Formats: sequence, structure tokens, C-alpha cells
Amino acid sequence: MFSDELKTLRKLGFRHVLLQILNFASVITSGLMIWKGMGLMFNTESPIVVVLSGSMEPAFYRGDLLFLTNFGNQRYSTGDITVYKIPGADIPIVHRVLETHDTIVKNSSSEVTLAPVADQLLLTKGDNNYVDDIELYQGLDWLERKHIVGKVRGFLPYVGYVTIAMNDFPQLKYALLGVLGLLALIQRE
Amino acid sequence: MHSIYARINGLTALLSTCVMVLLGTIALSSLIYTADPKGELSINSIRVHPGKERRYPRRTREFAFVNFNVTADLTPLFNWNTKQLFLYLEAEYENVKGVKNDVVIWDRIVRRKEDAVINVQGKNKYKFKDLAKSFKDVPPAHYSLKYNVMPYVGVLTYGEAARTTEAIEFPEAQDTM
Repeated sequence: MFSDELKTLRKLGFRHVLLQILNFASVITSGLMIWKGMGLMFNTESPIVVVLSGSMEPAFYRGDLLFLTNFGNQRYSTGDITVYKIPGADIPIVHRVLETHDTIVKNSSSEVTLAPVADQLLLTKGDNNYVDDIELYQGLDWLERKHIVGKVRGFLPYVGYVTIAMNDFPQLKYALLGVLGLLALIQRE
Repeated sequence: MHSIYARINGLTALLSTCVMVLLGTIALSSLIYTADPKGELSINSIRVHPGKERRYPRRTREFAFVNFNVTADLTPLFNWNTKQLFLYLEAEYENVKGVKNDVVIWDRIVRRKEDAVINVQGKNKYKFKDLAKSFKDVPPAHYSLKYNVMPYVGVLTYGEAARTTEAIEFPEAQDTM
């Protein structure tokens, strides 16, 4: 089955193989650039996340894609859905804000403003959980801005399931990578 | 040139482009719907009782218990791209230390248009407590009913359906339930 392909590979020569490797590399790097570019634009370390647990059902199921923003002056209010990562926990969590507490500051001209976004205290809860998240905060009493990866702005169902499948069945990942690599090498044009 | 690879490649490219365009159009189409339904919210009673904290069982603090009445017709929010509504009732107040607080005390998920006519006489689902352990001298609070429209695909939107016209005072703490 592969003898034909091997023959064509030999006929094409070394330069062609190099060119195909270069093409493959450019596809991967442009993907990475789009990812990092989105991260810069929306000021978050991961602009797109895949839902990994069922704690927000029936709003989000495993494998749904969420689009995040995390602008510097973005204040969180109740009802917003955050993605947060507590130091010491291994996976980011997608849950809804239940309480917000903002200190009020009076400046010299006695104008009333809210304290900087970084000082906001939050409490979250999963729609599908009975109680709030305080047990998930690893000893902290409140969630703070520095733990938050982003606010959920957009939603696309099912698409992220590919990554979950690849994590659950590693063979699938290697098979896919192998086939892609082989195709990239032997494909003409 | 008409190899099997080329055909598969062309077909999947066409299909995925079509699906992307379709999803994009659906997401954009829901921006046309700008329904802003209003309902009514009234607070029947508020009581304050001391209690024990969940996390620190030896500490006591005050908890507020709110009985409320909500009526609202939210059916206009259901369009062809509405997956569900997340309804929540929150208390908004400033405490004695000058902290602005928003606390959700009740919520409900509405998944069908038939269930979107809300008529609830309820009490708070979640613990309502202040940062400073006590509701003594805390200024009166406003209450509001808000919603989050969650689409099948696209952007999440938020709105407010009802608000109390006057701020409501916290009563003195009572020891007995």
C-alpha cells in the first residue's frame, strides 16, 4: 500500500521533503500566532477554553468552547461567568459570580469611586452545584482578580470535544499526528 | 489531480466553511432581538438571625432571611437562539465600612419558553451575610431581578427585569428563629 507513496517520495527528492516540512511548520506556527495574538487582544493567557466538567450544566457541557476576555479595567458583576485558576489547583474552573464586594474610595475632591479592580472580592458558584465554591479556593476566603483567567463572552457548543477525546484516548492523538505528518510529507503541490 | 485526497480535502473544506458561516449568521441574528421585558419585585419581610459559619463552625455571624415576591413575563427573551435564561435576585447595599456589596440570594434556570412566565413567592436560597459579621447599622438595601440570556451559539447578554423602588432596611437581629 505504501510502496507507491515511498516511490513518489524518493522521486520527489530531498528538497521537496524539506519544503513540505517547512510548510507543515508554517501551519503550526501560524496557528500559534493566532492563539497568542488573540491572547494579546483580549488580555488573557487563554482566550479560548474547553469546558472540562459538568458543574455548569445545563448551560455548558463537557467539550463546549468558551471565548474569554480579561481587560485590565474590567470589573466583574454578579451573574458573570468567570474562568479562574487557584494556585495549587491543576485545572481552570468555569463558574458564575455569586457575590462581589468593592471597597469605596473617597478621593481629595470627595468624589466617590470604587477601589481598583484588583481589590475586588468575589465568590463564585457552579450553576449545577448546591453550594458556593469556598471549598475550592484552597484555603482562601475570596476569589480575587489575580486568580481570574477571564470572563466568558461567547459560546460555541461541542467543538472542544476533540481535545477531550484526544486526552481520554492518547492513541487517537498519536494516530492523528502520524497521519497528518505523513500526508504533509507525501502530498504533492 | 482528482485524487481521493484532493476530493476529501475539498469536501471537508467546503463543509466546514458552510458550518462556520451558518453559525456566525445565527450568532449575529440574535443581536436583532432586543427585548427588554419588565416585571415586578417586592420584598415581603426581612429577618436577621445570628448563626454559625459553614467554614468556621465556632464563629457566629448574622444571616439575613428575605421573603420576596417576583412576577415577570420573560417570554420575549426566548428567540430561536436562546438556550436558557439564568435568572437571579440580588441585594445591593453599602455596609458600614464603605464596601459596595452585590449578593445573589436566589436564582433559577429557565429552559423553556413555557416556563418563562415567572410568579414566585420565595425566600433566599443562598446565605445572605455581610463581610462585617453583622447587619447592625447597615444602610437599607436595594433588591433587583436580573437575567442572563445564554444562546445556543454566540454572545452572552445580560439585563435587569425588576428593581425595588425604595431601599429596604435591615431589622434588628433576633436571637430566636
